[in-house]
Amino acid sequence: MPLSFALKNKTPRRAAFSTLLLAVLAMTPQSRATSRTNWAIDPARTRISFSIDAIGYPRTEGEFRRFDGRISVDFDHPAQSHVNFHVEAGSVDVGSASFSDYLRSEAFLNAARFNEIVFSSTAVEKVDDHLVRVTGDLTMLGVTRPLTVDVEVRREAEARRARLEFTARAKIDRLEFGMSSGFPVISRDVDLLVASEAAEQ
Amino acid sequence: MNANEGSKPAAGSRSPQRWSAPTMALHWLSAVLIFVLLGLGWFMVHGDLDAPTKFDLFQLHKSLGFLSLALLLLRLGARFAEPAPPAPPSMRDWERRAAALTHITLYALLLIAVLSGWLRVSSAIIPIPSRFFGLFVIPNLVGADAALAANMALLHYIVSRLIIGLLILHIAAALKHHLVDRDDILLRMLPSR
Repeated sequence: MPLSFALKNKTPRRAAFSTLLLAVLAMTPQSRATSRTNWAIDPARTRISFSIDAIGYPRTEGEFRRFDGRISVDFDHPAQSHVNFHVEAGSVDVGSASFSDYLRSEAFLNAARFNEIVFSSTAVEKVDDHLVRVTGDLTMLGVTRPLTVDVEVRREAEARRARLEFTARAKIDRLEFGMSSGFPVISRDVDLLVASEAAEQ
Repeated sequence: MNANEGSKPAAGSRSPQRWSAPTMALHWLSAVLIFVLLGLGWFMVHGDLDAPTKFDLFQLHKSLGFLSLALLLLRLGARFAEPAPPAPPSMRDWERRAAALTHITLYALLLIAVLSGWLRVSSAIIPIPSRFFGLFVIPNLVGADAALAANMALLHYIVSRLIIGLLILHIAAALKHHLVDRDDILLRMLPSR
């Protein structure tokens, strides 16, 4: 619908303006780097999961069902790459509706107030051909703290459309974000695992 | 001999010696609930369970526990409202006293079981709301208190074991009355056929 609307209303003047705009964009430094590519994570092939230990209780494993992620990779200048993830706290799922509700409550994720969990990279460092160390800011419960994530990357160039496979592991200290419920019975460390596939845009 | 057997209190006919239908219903419903609570209590603690299942079973145990409290209060009310059918004349004095003591102790233990469980979840360091079958939240009695929670957990456990002991006594006595004494004690708690 928006597309047909745009086509119908596309006067020659507007087309000329668009061309001009593209030309301006092409001159900006960002798009001058020819090796820069943009990727969107494929929700169907992405799992944002976590696990946490507690004394006298089985390890709790869960995942977030709703999220969105964008990656901008510069293969020639890896340090200029950028990663951005948005996760909905309210989409937490630990395999039991009442347990998930409990984690959404004020005691833990407080999703009614802080539904957004955001990770935004500040530095990317290439360790070797398959390992990248991403440093960034994680915002959860309205608190922003630095987080370093080791990311294993595999580029699937043979596929019909280029795909980027990656696995990221990190450990979060939930106390840093003010999530102290159940501590020390429930561990302060939360293991985070993001396994994802991104498609080139 | 045959005449003697025939003169036993009739089991088939509707007898004024029987407990009322609501009392019977409450008794058997409570019986089932108590067995489920005991079994579930053991399984949720000792079973090889994953985290979400364990969480759900604990929540179910809490809901069933509160339901058993409601039934217990109804039963206590019914017990005061409806006098017990007179004991069979064959029962000796000490037997009557022992039966009364067993029943009072059982009621008391059931009450302590629910209250210690309620206090235990109320004082827990990890405050998980007690949602009665997911319908509404049952308030906590006290705030978080690790020492109280540990004591209540121990009390809850001990009381559950005492209840098992008394249930064995209760059931054995009912069977003894039925099979050995051949009186109508057990039949009084069963609907007439």
